[in-house]
Amino acid sequence: MKLKEVDRTAMQAWSPAQNHPIYLATGTSAQQLDATFSTNASLEIFELDLSDPSLDMKSCATFSSSHRYHKLIWGPYKMDSKGDVSGVLIAGGENGNIILYDPSKIIAGDKEVVIAQNDKHTGPVRALDVNIFQTNLVASGANESEIYIWDLNNFATPMTPGAKTQPPEDISCIAWNRQVQHILASASPSGRATVWDLRKNEPIIKVSDHSNRMHCSGLAWHPDIATQMVLASEDDRLPVIQMWDLRFASSPLRVLENHARGILAIAWSMADPELLLSCGKDAKILCSNPNTGEVLYELPTNTQWCFDIQWCPRNPAVLSAASFDGRISVYSIMGGSTDGLRQKQVDKLSSSFGNLDPFGTGQPLPPLQIPQQTAQHSIVLPLKKPPKWIRRPVGASFSFGGKLVTFENVRMPSHQGAEQQQQQHHVFISQVVTEKEFLSRSDQLQQAVQSQGFINYCQKKIDASQTEFEKNVWSFLKVNFEDDSRGKYLELLGYRKEDLGKKALKDSDQVAQSDGEESPAAEEQLLGEHIKEEKEESEFLPSSGGTFNISVSGDIDGLITQALLTGNFESAVDLCLHDNRMADAIILAIAGGQELLARTQKKYFAKSQSKITRLITAVVMKNWKEIVESCDLKNWREALAAVLTYAKPDEFSALCDLLGTRLENEGDSPLQTQACLCYICAGNVEKLVACWTKAQDGSHPLSLQDLIEKVVILRKAVQLTQAMDTSTVGVLLAAKMSQYANLLAAQGSIAAALAFLPDNTNQPNIVQLRDRLCRAQGEPVAGHESPKIPYEKQQLPKGRPGPVGHHQMPRVQTQQYYPHVRIAPTVTTWSNKTPTALPSHPPAASPSDTQGENPPPPGFIMHGNVNPNAAGQLPTSPGHMHTQVPPYPQPQPYQPAQPYPFGTGGSAMYRPQQPVAPPTSNAYPNTPYISSASSYSGQSQLYAAQHQASSPTSSPATSFPPPPSSGASFQHGGPGAPPSSSAYALPPGTTGTLPAASELPASQRTENHSVQDQAPMLEGPQNGWNDPPALNRVPKKKKMPENFMPPVPITSPIMNPLGDPQSQMLQQQPSPPIPLSSQSSFPQPHLSGGQPFHGIQQPLGQTGMPPSFSKPNIEGAPGAPIGNTFQHVQSLPTKKITKKPIPDEHLILKTTFEDLIQRCLSSATDPQTKRKLDDASKRLEFLYDKLREQTLSPTITSGLHSIARSIETRNYSEGLTMHTHIVSTSNFSETSAFMPVLKVVLTQANKLGV
Amino acid sequence: MNHDAQMDYYGTHLATCSSDRSVKIFDVRNGGQILIADLRGHEGPVWQVAWAHTMYGNILGSCSYDRKVIIWREENGTWEKSHEHVRHDSSVNSVCWAPHDYGLILACGSSDGAISLLMYTGEGQWEVKKINNAHTIGCNAVSWAPAVVPGSLIDQPSGQKPNYIKRFASGGCDNLIKLWKEEEDGQWKEEQKLEAHSDWVRDVAWDPSIGLPTSTIASCSQDGHVFIWTCDDASGNTWSPKLLHKFSDVVWHVSWSITANILAVSRLFSQEELQMQPQIDHLP
Repeated sequence: MKLKEVDRTAMQAWSPAQNHPIYLATGTSAQQLDATFSTNASLEIFELDLSDPSLDMKSCATFSSSHRYHKLIWGPYKMDSKGDVSGVLIAGGENGNIILYDPSKIIAGDKEVVIAQNDKHTGPVRALDVNIFQTNLVASGANESEIYIWDLNNFATPMTPGAKTQPPEDISCIAWNRQVQHILASASPSGRATVWDLRKNEPIIKVSDHSNRMHCSGLAWHPDIATQMVLASEDDRLPVIQMWDLRFASSPLRVLENHARGILAIAWSMADPELLLSCGKDAKILCSNPNTGEVLYELPTNTQWCFDIQWCPRNPAVLSAASFDGRISVYSIMGGSTDGLRQKQVDKLSSSFGNLDPFGTGQPLPPLQIPQQTAQHSIVLPLKKPPKWIRRPVGASFSFGGKLVTFENVRMPSHQGAEQQQQQHHVFISQVVTEKEFLSRSDQLQQAVQSQGFINYCQKKIDASQTEFEKNVWSFLKVNFEDDSRGKYLELLGYRKEDLGKKALKDSDQVAQSDGEESPAAEEQLLGEHIKEEKEESEFLPSSGGTFNISVSGDIDGLITQALLTGNFESAVDLCLHDNRMADAIILAIAGGQELLARTQKKYFAKSQSKITRLITAVVMKNWKEIVESCDLKNWREALAAVLTYAKPDEFSALCDLLGTRLENEGDSPLQTQACLCYICAGNVEKLVACWTKAQDGSHPLSLQDLIEKVVILRKAVQLTQAMDTSTVGVLLAAKMSQYANLLAAQGSIAAALAFLPDNTNQPNIVQLRDRLCRAQGEPVAGHESPKIPYEKQQLPKGRPGPVGHHQMPRVQTQQYYPHVRIAPTVTTWSNKTPTALPSHPPAASPSDTQGENPPPPGFIMHGNVNPNAAGQLPTSPGHMHTQVPPYPQPQPYQPAQPYPFGTGGSAMYRPQQPVAPPTSNAYPNTPYISSASSYSGQSQLYAAQHQASSPTSSPATSFPPPPSSGASFQHGGPGAPPSSSAYALPPGTTGTLPAASELPASQRTENHSVQDQAPMLEGPQNGWNDPPALNRVPKKKKMPENFMPPVPITSPIMNPLGDPQSQMLQQQPSPPIPLSSQSSFPQPHLSGGQPFHGIQQPLGQTGMPPSFSKPNIEGAPGAPIGNTFQHVQSLPTKKITKKPIPDEHLILKTTFEDLIQRCLSSATDPQTKRKLDDASKRLEFLYDKLREQTLSPTITSGLHSIARSIETRNYSEGLTMHTHIVSTSNFSETSAFMPVLKVVLTQANKLGV
Repeated sequence: MNHDAQMDYYGTHLATCSSDRSVKIFDVRNGGQILIADLRGHEGPVWQVAWAHTMYGNILGSCSYDRKVIIWREENGTWEKSHEHVRHDSSVNSVCWAPHDYGLILACGSSDGAISLLMYTGEGQWEVKKINNAHTIGCNAVSWAPAVVPGSLIDQPSGQKPNYIKRFASGGCDNLIKLWKEEEDGQWKEEQKLEAHSDWVRDVAWDPSIGLPTSTIASCSQDGHVFIWTCDDASGNTWSPKLLHKFSDVVWHVSWSITANILAVSRLFSQEELQMQPQIDHLP
């Protein structure tokens, strides 16, 4: 659908991909006039602002130019990574001039925007291209076969790619190769395209179909495959796009005939090589897949021709097209509706009137009505096929229970033809454990609860306490489980009854000096004294009877006496008080009865001002509430001690609570935390939680663990000591407990989570969680209240097989499409096995092997019955330490020590993430919810076979028994040896358009041998840039795959140890399943010179793209190994040299090949074939020369010998296979001169059946 | 080629979807893998699947390049197509169920730039609300905010139905993350526009945890950046981005763990986990 448009008759150039925001530069195009006949020209820059829904493009800058342009490009030259507006605009003018503009200056409005200018060319410069590897290099083409290479660092003197082609012709297009930096192609309206090698400074190949009708208007290299390019023809008689492959440059590989009239421009998407845009004189803009010829999309355009079309480099869904009606339109190929767009425009229109009663009618304007053109309901459909960039290839999602579901699509090399690439579709479920300490502590807690070993647990906690407060808390908790808890509490507060008593008796003077803070001591002291007094009194009273004189005088004594004598105790007491004779008053009051005593006490306390009076008051009056309510909070300890000493059991809790509440509400923060101690004494769980939560950050698992430990212990204590009903759970506690259970569940400890979840509660969140946990465990909710929330449907699906039968994986034909859900193995999977058991996916997980022969591992059977009580069987913390995996899987330290004998670069990176070695297993009998280490890592487990290698006990020797016959002969060449011919079994022709290959990043194809050596099948038989997948049109290859690729079950990476590339490298031995076929259909050649000619074949089940592939992407400098890749293309022997004889052992090659050509010639009928064969015969001389000079590597010669043998047996298809193998494994430069010819001969022989 | 794999509410069933147009459901309890259903109905690659909360039964939503959203439902052990939503004009790239407290609501983001909201109105009927031009040239991801208003877990009086504010986040090809809020009249309004990515936003994930005072959103982009957006104020107006990591190439997917302290970040060739930096303040 159309996103934007600008009314300009102009050439266009998008800002480079690095640039953000996206700009579009337009330059008035040459040789076109609009209706005003204006000859003004300008260079403009627009911003693509997609957040603006209107069709207008935001103009950023306009520069009036004196030139009109034939071509405009925007190169990223000197652009920094931040992508600030920079780069350089390169324009091709009418008079042989090339002008460099600085776009940032244009945007800034500078007048001096031209960086440099050069008019060295003859005629209009129609062709320009920037080298994507060296952005300072620009190629240009003009008339008279002129091609210049400009170095923007030294713009004055251009280079030429070689001698001008003759006859002189216009250069209409020019393009740098996308894979090899020094390869350039040019094309002209005459229909010829020339490929230049800048290193050799000459043309290396000319491409032409001899029809003389190709009128080249467009030229584009394949974004990924170095040898492929397309040419578009402007000629109405041949309105085609030809796809060429330079490895077979005698005729086009494919011809796209989708346009009815000549094609004016093409553009190949860099983001998806299956998208090629073309616009033609039939006024169509098409997007086709050049690899199949299918039209994927036709842009809805007007009837005007477009003369220029460009993909936006940054936004792959966006393209721009310039049409002859003077408009540049920006489209999205993702389709969509323009209704919204239009509506927005209407809104905009409406709102521009303000909508506010512009005519003063007192009524706002009605919304603008535009006629709904229902007929043109403007839905624009997207591409027929989803573009590559929206196909999400990987993903990882968390789910309940700390499980991580990951999927990845590993592309497999295919042997069944180009389009049917096989992929591994694995979905992995792994357990993520990040809180090891949390889990281990949770386990300990559970154990303590199970074993009732609370005192020990608390003691441990006390010992481990880091802070005094923590220690106190645990000590308090511990006391709950001991006898005489109150006394112990007092001790904890620092008061020991006996000590105090002694102290008091010993030294009463100190008491007098004691300050307020020691008031409890004073209190004790008081008690002591009181006792003493009583004793004294009792001693004294009997003896006092003797001399007793009653005075009734008028002084106070007399009055008291009178009162006493009249029995008026009240008056007597009053008199005593009045006279400050406190002791007398009290004693009298005692005699006067309870009532009087109470009153007297009150009066006494009212009069007394001593510091400890209030305490005494409280003690005497038994008014502990008073103490608790009014004591200085600094003295909370003392208050608590008093409560502990005196309070009755029924009021004890309440008083502790009260004190705690005061501390919490009134105290400063250190005191607030102390409130916890009060709550512990009170046994008030809910308040403890509240207080703790207030003081601590409860969101972190460990701090929550801290709380829960205390809460659980306290609850147990309360249960034991107070026989209280603890089943009621407060809101806050419920919240915390469910948070805790959630955390446990998130770490995979579902059983533990269930165990900790409070019973008997109607808290909806807990009920929900319980239900969820139960079901997550795979058992129906039983023994618990069913959830209150209105579940419409809760019953488990009926008729499902129980957990025992894992044999239902549908398979057979469609199996490659089945996502193979692999449950990450748990430790239990192999808990009863020896550690040599491979810690890879359990066999039960692989469909091919699940026919009832794999009952679930023991642990799983247990698992079905796990109930919360089973929690006691949880492993202890060391177990967790083993079973848990750090969130960042690390390469294991032992790996580097393993003597993998491949020495060339890249091997080390081949297995970046090995799973942790399996722990010895028996320790974890019942931990089905804890994933094993090896099962965890998203990276490692994708490569199932690597598990095997990583298992220290699975020695290669035992895992991969060498075939009896081959062991000795397959000597490894050692590091740096020529690559093994491991891909030879790939039938030629089928790999050609392997999407797998075509979608590989470019640099991969330029990787050196070491990478290929490791993963030959992954790359296909590719080697250098020049060795992309072979062509797809070689006939008769359909049957080949079966010869060499017996259908390996898709599970082979798991079941077949040879799926492990490392082991393979280690041994260089043929894999047991594969060599059977490859040997039978492919006689092994003699090994000459001990050179490795390994019958190695990556099994089909090779688990795909190894992680190392990302490495080459980074490191493999594009075009790196290009040293001499091109030099043989045209290096046919030109000089006559004195020829040495071909060595005897190779003479058979010559005779065989020549004989074959002769046979072909004699049976060939059409002259074209004969000509080809003649030519081949000549070209093979080059091979013979090489044989004479003995410059060919033994790998190649031995390969040639096998070809010769297959020719003798007339098994040409085998010969072709061998041929592909040689090509794929050898240096292109070594073989390029004769191997293509040999292929022609073999193909012809096969066709002719000679 | 698989494009998504999601576990149900209990973690016992796995739904996958693929470019072969299929949606498959597996029973993965106890380490098994039993194919329960192979759901056919899409006519293009299926991009995402999403499980509804089990309180509504076993319901799965899927979206595809074929411009359709299909709601699948299990009845008596058999999975069947329950509803087909065909109101999008281009590939539907993302589906996400709203928190169950709101009822059955499915948000769908499409390459046509629109986001649609499918609301179950009972008796097999679905009502559609559409936000047109939410993201020019395409919405890639939608993710709902959790149902609880930040910080309200404790304060909320139990039993009383809280007045939820429905919000979700979306990310698109306009490099933006947008936050949408349901107005009182039931219309959806763009509330925030979060700008930090310089290329397509591939995925957004709203932190699912409730009870924290901070709202958090993770986003990832074609530009390789993963951002964590946080909002502390209750009105939800001030969002600040923090660059979590810069990868070398496109990041396809972000997913929070249920407890939201772990973020899984998916890229090609590797899947990585990034642990959030937990804020720990231990008392002395």
